[in-house]
Amino acid sequence: MNFNLSPTHQISCDKHCILWYEKSNNYSVVTAEFKSILDIYLQSDSTDDFNTKLGLTNINSSPVAHNIFSYLTSCNSFETQDILEDIKFSDIHRNTLKYYKVDNSKIKIYYDSELALKIIHPAIAYLETQPDEKENTTFDIFLKDNHWLIYKDKHLLTVAAKKDYHLIQGKFIMHLLCTIHSKEESDWVGTFHGSTITDDTNSILFVGKSGQGKSTLCSLLSANGFKLVADDISPMLSKNKHIYSNPLAISVKEGAFNTLRPLIKDFDDLLVTQLNKTKGLIKYVPTKNWKANSYPCKAIVMVNYKKESDTILENVSIKKVLETLIPDSWLSPNPKHAKQFLDWLESIRVYELTYGNTSDVTLCISKLFKQIIKKK
Amino acid sequence: MKKNSNTDKITRKDAMKKMGKYAALTAVGTFAILNPLKAQGSSIPDPGDDFS
Repeated sequence: MNFNLSPTHQISCDKHCILWYEKSNNYSVVTAEFKSILDIYLQSDSTDDFNTKLGLTNINSSPVAHNIFSYLTSCNSFETQDILEDIKFSDIHRNTLKYYKVDNSKIKIYYDSELALKIIHPAIAYLETQPDEKENTTFDIFLKDNHWLIYKDKHLLTVAAKKDYHLIQGKFIMHLLCTIHSKEESDWVGTFHGSTITDDTNSILFVGKSGQGKSTLCSLLSANGFKLVADDISPMLSKNKHIYSNPLAISVKEGAFNTLRPLIKDFDDLLVTQLNKTKGLIKYVPTKNWKANSYPCKAIVMVNYKKESDTILENVSIKKVLETLIPDSWLSPNPKHAKQFLDWLESIRVYELTYGNTSDVTLCISKLFKQIIKKK
Repeated sequence: MKKNSNTDKITRKDAMKKMGKYAALTAVGTFAILNPLKAQGSSIPDPGDDFS
């Protein structure tokens, strides 16, 4: 019954089932009991057959079939996306040019205005270099008719309304990663909204809503012996399911300045940026000796900063983690990539970290990396 | 006839009990539907005055 609404991929994980729907690229987390009823529904020939299989006879009407049908309809619903119209490249917007060197890759970016500079440059300012015209990848970022346009080597990547500048940042980061790691956009499983730290062998992805202390924690850990792989956007490659390094500096909000000042060398010398009046001040903490690299990710930790709290690391349900991770991440709609994402979820551990004490938390994460090795 | 009616009553009672259980197990709130972002983006959704 309703086979065209069935999930394409599914895994069992921590008393839950995670299902993926190809038509919509939606994920769903259900209980094992729900999944059993769903399976019976999908295997039934009709509503009567379904009710009989459930033992719901002698009843005039049952809401169960309706519940399942509504659920499947919601899982398969999707919004149509606008098709990107090609807008012919013009170089009349090339007002400011900056060169950057990222490990072995060289890029140059033309900006049309201070506003365009503001959305891209501060996070990569530490990579700025002297003009060098050899083998550059060229980006152009400018406003036209109240819309941002971003081009890579004169090919349009995307268009976004002026207020949606985060989409231009996201597209730029994706193509910066493609350039640095010599990949195509279609090579990535997704870009997770979270920060990744490595001990040089494995990595851990830290997730949490904005303001929960992810970037502060990662600044802290990278000042205490761990290496930052990626801040805010952690890309996973299909080929090996590793998280690849993202060169953007860690963005730290004003609220964390006092915590990080004693821990980060020359913190007060870092440039302060104000992206807009409502966001407050931001400092970008560069990654020392940034290198293009990748690491297998063995755990997801949900970060929860609570002032003066003890450091507590505890198991958490996969449902809670995915409710935080998925809505803020871009995940490829390619069925192969969705399967890889689910396979990866099945192989990792998930935790919730509450912290308020900066000295305990490094030790706690060191222990977690050691546990990961033991579980190999 | 009386015996059959009793059996029906018990069966219906059991069925209603089962239906209540299954309806509760499949009600809205027992599952999560999660939509990933349709395009890559950074985590700065608040545009502020400069970008309006």
